[in-house]
Amino acid sequence: MWFRSKPEPTNGQSPAAPTIPVGTLPPEQATAPQAPTGTRPTLTCEIDEMLSWSIFPGDTVSLEGTEDSADVDTFHFGGFEVQTRSLALSPLQTTRVPIKLPKLRAATNGFLFPEAASWIPKTQTATTASVAGRIGSDDSGENQSAKKRTRKIGKHARIKPPNDIVKLQDRLYYLLQPPLDLLVGSGQLNFPFEPFPYQLDGIAFLFPRYACVLADEMGLGKTMQAISTMRMLLCSGELRNILLVCPKPLVSNWLREFGVWAPEIPVMAIEGNAAKREFQWRATNAPVKVANYELLMRDKEIVLESGLHFDLVALDEAQRIKNSNNTTSEIVRAIPRTRSWALTGTPVENSPDDLVGIFDFLSPGYLTAGMTLPQMARAAGDYILRRTKDMVLEDMPPKLFRDADIDLTPEQWARYEAAESDGIIHLEELEESLTIQHVFELVLRLKQICNFDPVTGSSAKLQRLEADMEEVAASGHKAILFSQWTKTIEKMRPTLERFGVLEYHGKIPHKKRETVIDQFKHDPDKRIILMSYGAGSVGLNLQFCRYVFLFDRWWNPAIEDQAINRAHRIGAAGSVTVTRMMAAGTIEQRIAAVLDQKREMFETLFAAQGEPASTQDRAPTPASNSPLTRTGGLTRDEIFGLFDLRAPGGKKVA
Amino acid sequence: MGSSKDAAAATTIGYFTTVESERTGWTGGLLVLNGAGRPLEFQCTLPIRPSRAHEILFGTTLRHHLISEVIGPTLLQKCRTPISLLCCGQAEAVSLQENLPPSAATLPGNSAVRSTVVAIIQRDDDKRSRELDGHCRIALGNANLHVAMECLEDAEIAIAGLNDIIDTFEPFERITEAIREAQSQMARAA
Repeated sequence: MWFRSKPEPTNGQSPAAPTIPVGTLPPEQATAPQAPTGTRPTLTCEIDEMLSWSIFPGDTVSLEGTEDSADVDTFHFGGFEVQTRSLALSPLQTTRVPIKLPKLRAATNGFLFPEAASWIPKTQTATTASVAGRIGSDDSGENQSAKKRTRKIGKHARIKPPNDIVKLQDRLYYLLQPPLDLLVGSGQLNFPFEPFPYQLDGIAFLFPRYACVLADEMGLGKTMQAISTMRMLLCSGELRNILLVCPKPLVSNWLREFGVWAPEIPVMAIEGNAAKREFQWRATNAPVKVANYELLMRDKEIVLESGLHFDLVALDEAQRIKNSNNTTSEIVRAIPRTRSWALTGTPVENSPDDLVGIFDFLSPGYLTAGMTLPQMARAAGDYILRRTKDMVLEDMPPKLFRDADIDLTPEQWARYEAAESDGIIHLEELEESLTIQHVFELVLRLKQICNFDPVTGSSAKLQRLEADMEEVAASGHKAILFSQWTKTIEKMRPTLERFGVLEYHGKIPHKKRETVIDQFKHDPDKRIILMSYGAGSVGLNLQFCRYVFLFDRWWNPAIEDQAINRAHRIGAAGSVTVTRMMAAGTIEQRIAAVLDQKREMFETLFAAQGEPASTQDRAPTPASNSPLTRTGGLTRDEIFGLFDLRAPGGKKVA
Repeated sequence: MGSSKDAAAATTIGYFTTVESERTGWTGGLLVLNGAGRPLEFQCTLPIRPSRAHEILFGTTLRHHLISEVIGPTLLQKCRTPISLLCCGQAEAVSLQENLPPSAATLPGNSAVRSTVVAIIQRDDDKRSRELDGHCRIALGNANLHVAMECLEDAEIAIAGLNDIIDTFEPFERITEAIREAQSQMARAA
């Protein structure tokens, strides 16, 4: 409603007609008529654009004739005649608009797990919190270190299904299992020693997998993780028949570890004459059989063709099958089995293609030689678990390297120089008939002179070792010494006799080796054990030793690492000092320089496995067929390069 | 090693929770464990998406309706393993005790308890925990359980058979993970 001025005629005449409701006029005409001069304004009330009308004083708006004219009422007010009328309104009608509210219903999907088998047999014995991997009772510091290993709240060791399990029910079966860390010590899952959290993670990794590589760094307890998982799988009925294959020297170690971590599981070592072995292969009273690689060759027919089937075949030191073409690999790949596990601390020794050989056992054809590093890493990622000590052991004692550059004795030096110059002249004379074997022989001869003068027997290294051992013995510690040659070990024995020296190498019968290790562990007068790399570098737990001497260097850094890790492993009593003895200015230092470069390259390569970075250019070429590179870390060109020689048909290597 | 039949005769513990997602809606999960914490049965619902009309008309009671009158009873109805003690992670499930399906309301004769005891679970160190009318507290592992007073005796019997439970809350993580797994499979299949 609004008001506006309206001229009122002064001559007393009424307007001819009532005004037209505004709403009926076009907008431009709907304004108030212009007031002629001399008129005085009046007010017009407009109520609504549609329903309004204007009534001026004197206007007559007849309501007669309308439907409700009877209800018209008239009165005067302020010079206006006002008519009112009553309008009869029909009652409001309600309209129902139904809103349907369907009942909420839930559709379900359910899974019943048929067996809730226990993972271990129930025992009443309380668990002993101590350092994992250590055998027997130990010092009082255990409890303290065990306390440090408490798992962070909220982070559980859960079994997660691998990607190759696709059926929802199977995946849920694993997902819905309780975290292992909550079961440890609850009566559902007992261990003789409290495992490290990362070891539980390792068990959770192995448990659901049908094909996998446990590639933890040496000393992190691959054996314990494998045995504990086998134990759980056996007790829960998922496995009934396991074959474990390991290098021959490690058979006794595996038997001992089974005794510790799975004492209730009968284990049988395959050994003895052919008839006995055949009986053992077919025996059903032991769910776990331990065989060595060499033996598989001899028993090939029984294993492959007599109808044997294993629920699980686990390979220890699985790098042995990295070369798919060797007979061992072929036999191992042909063993009838359901699950395949590979355990190795060095899944890649020379080239990423080493992994292809291992995967030919796990899942033939899954990896192929020539795949780029990122492709291989992506494909293999779900199958490999690799942890290093740096990653998982915050409280692991340090490993200290000490490169002892030793000046040879005058006798040794004279012999060395003569041998080297004569040797090089000889090699050069060979010209086109020069082979890697010739160079290799010269290297070995020179290295032996660096150890002992072959004529006088003088040894600068031995003198240094003797001095160091005085200190080791005086401080009440023990040491391990590694050498490439048993003859070297035999030569140093008389000098070290006063330190209660023990020997552990290929010439010591297998039956006596256990006794030697026990003696070294428990006899306080036995201060040093002399080992060959071949016999002593794998599978032994000697973490009570604080000193390691490498009397001469092995060709392959991975083998050296394995040797060092006999002492520097879980449960190490303190820092481990590694003394690498090298004769100054000799072939030994040249080899060490090449190996250091190689070690650096491998570390870079393995670290790049989880990264898409373009590191493949740095990948070394596959190993050549030379005897050295099959077992060691030096390539053919590198061997020739040691003497600045040109390989026949090849380029000169500086 | 035992069969599911043997396990069912012993004390069982159920875990029930719902997961609400903007994208998929409400999904319920029920996990039944034996006394050792090993899974016996898992039931989950397909996602339920209440309409706008449900949201308006149920208002603040929608959660309660979904949890204790729709999803909970449906899962219990489908569950084939008798449950001695049902731990619920959401307080809205408090009236589930009155909405138990017949199979859960009367457990088999060889069961240690008479019917499924519904318990609302709260952390024992949760200062915000409040008392529920007609309920009393009872401890299990690292949690406090609120059970209806009339069920207290059955709850105590059930808890006595659950000695190996250390982290009472952990199974809820399993349910959440299992629901996620199921939904991701359904999404891949779609």
